[in-house]
Amino acid sequence: MDNVLEIKNLHIDVKKDDSTYNVVKDVNVSIGKQQIYGIVGESGSGKSLTALSIMGLLANPPLHVSKGSIQFEGDRELLDMSFKEMKKIRGKEISMIFQEPMTALDPLFTIQDQLMEALKFHTKLSKSEMKQACIDIIERVGIPRPKEVLKDYPHQLSGGMRQRVMIAIAMLCNPKLLLADEPTTALDVTIQAQILDLMKELREDFETSILMITHDLGVIAETCQRVAVMYAGEVVEESDVVSLFHSPKHPYTKGLLKSMVSGNRHDDLYSIPGKVPSVEQMPSGCRFATRCPHVMDICHTQTPPVQEVEADHTCQCWLYQEELVKNG
Amino acid sequence: MIAYTIRRLLMLIPVLFGISVFIFLIMKMIPGDVVSTMLGTEATDESRSQLEKQFGLNLPIYQQYYNWISGVLVGDFGVSLRTGKPVLGDILNRFTLTLELTLLSAFLSWIIAIPLGIIAAIKRNTSTDFGVRIISLLGVSVPNFALATLLLLILSVFFSYYPPSTYVSLVEDPVKNLQMMILPSIVLGTAMAGAVMRMTRSTVLEVLRQDFIRTIRAKGASERVVIFNHALKNAMIPILTIIGMQIGVLLGGTVIIEQIFSLPGLGQLVLTAINQRDYPVVQGAVLFIAFVFVMINLIVDLLYSYLDPRITYK
Repeated sequence: MDNVLEIKNLHIDVKKDDSTYNVVKDVNVSIGKQQIYGIVGESGSGKSLTALSIMGLLANPPLHVSKGSIQFEGDRELLDMSFKEMKKIRGKEISMIFQEPMTALDPLFTIQDQLMEALKFHTKLSKSEMKQACIDIIERVGIPRPKEVLKDYPHQLSGGMRQRVMIAIAMLCNPKLLLADEPTTALDVTIQAQILDLMKELREDFETSILMITHDLGVIAETCQRVAVMYAGEVVEESDVVSLFHSPKHPYTKGLLKSMVSGNRHDDLYSIPGKVPSVEQMPSGCRFATRCPHVMDICHTQTPPVQEVEADHTCQCWLYQEELVKNG
Repeated sequence: MIAYTIRRLLMLIPVLFGISVFIFLIMKMIPGDVVSTMLGTEATDESRSQLEKQFGLNLPIYQQYYNWISGVLVGDFGVSLRTGKPVLGDILNRFTLTLELTLLSAFLSWIIAIPLGIIAAIKRNTSTDFGVRIISLLGVSVPNFALATLLLLILSVFFSYYPPSTYVSLVEDPVKNLQMMILPSIVLGTAMAGAVMRMTRSTVLEVLRQDFIRTIRAKGASERVVIFNHALKNAMIPILTIIGMQIGVLLGGTVIIEQIFSLPGLGQLVLTAINQRDYPVVQGAVLFIAFVFVMINLIVDLLYSYLDPRITYK
């Protein structure tokens, strides 16, 4: 299968007070055609930074990609592209939606202005064609009374509506890849489900691949085919969704699954002890070592290698390395 | 919107009433009076009381105020005690120059301050930003009379340039008029430029950090579109506020600047009138300047709702 996006050995560093710290380390992600690929992790795990680096929108300085490659549609290296080349890709071939629909739209422009803007950047349609395209897409993302809503300003719409508008802007030029950075986090639960359903529908209609970034395993289970679990800037486990939920390998993934809320439990909710290490105090071995229930001596000194523990299921943990050594 | 404008206009009444009482009392409180300045200290009591009677200064103070304000309400600002000419005619006549000076200095300061503020925000923490911040700090902190004197000295000593000294109005000779007005406008506009520069830099910086800027970039916008179509428009409200406030400073500043550059504007009229204790002229002119200032701020407030759809006046 051809991959739409191929991230290889991506490293992102941050400059802080004349020192450089690593925030994203050796991330490898491949997103197939029409696939919904999930990245799950706590805040500060580097999942949003990974998405922003695809768009070339990292706040530089202080952040910058120090190593790696991001290949779009096989042979187009995004990291080598000039600003001008990136501009043509942003919003047209790769688009992005964000966590906060309340602040993601310019308050001083009507919805129509903000939609038209994307069309002006990327198409040569006439004004009436643009207007029709706006009405069509607004209708397509399930907003009632499209003609009236186009004349509204963002503050006149609810959070769910604004997120639909964001999706409309993103889908307007029929992108090959949609980056969704916590698209449902700021919405209430019923709206969340609607937005996720909409995204799944749009993927079918527009034949778009989606990179779904979330801290919510529920969203992953609901939408994704493949998933990468990120912790402190590293992908600690990567597999298809079924395999991840049925046989999680990494202690962090197990912890995450244990701390999910499910309908029929009465005991206290589990939480992983400790907190994500800060960039200044990143452990030298396994980055999860300080919080891991199965920690061993080697974890503190050496970074575990990425290991294929099952078919198409990789995990970065010394536990499985040991097992392999024992078994043979 | 219309109802709001009418309400704001009605609110002008108590404001202007307060100012009229205040300026009237101030003029009564400063030592010396018009009769002594006209007749000198040698004057006989008889001639003094005759003149006082003629000007109505023998009446009780509330009566004097009533006589003045009841005239003002019907557009009669009285006549100058020194020249006998109607005050309002003098004010309007002189005001054209002061207005030109104010507008020209405001315009000059914006075309310099807003671009520099934007550049400083884009290139924050670089030497360019640092330079702009020093210029703006100097702008707000150097008093304009000092700057005026310095500028005139430098131009005359090193470049042997002297601005034309007899005033010609804009309609008579636009080129010569602008030659006269450009120096005082630069001096007067400097403080406003400094303030506007600082405000532009900080608000543009703040806007650029907002989420929606990231959305616009993600749509494929060039930096030009990001800065001019979105960041600047969003930054305009705080900038407009500071401009409205600075207009007041400009109007006040014209008094000194017109004196230094010997321009026959409203400021010069007021200063002369104060020295001569020409009460109707001072009172009329100050009331007029106050009116202009509150009107400008009303316009600024109305512009807010034009710029920002979230602001509606009911």
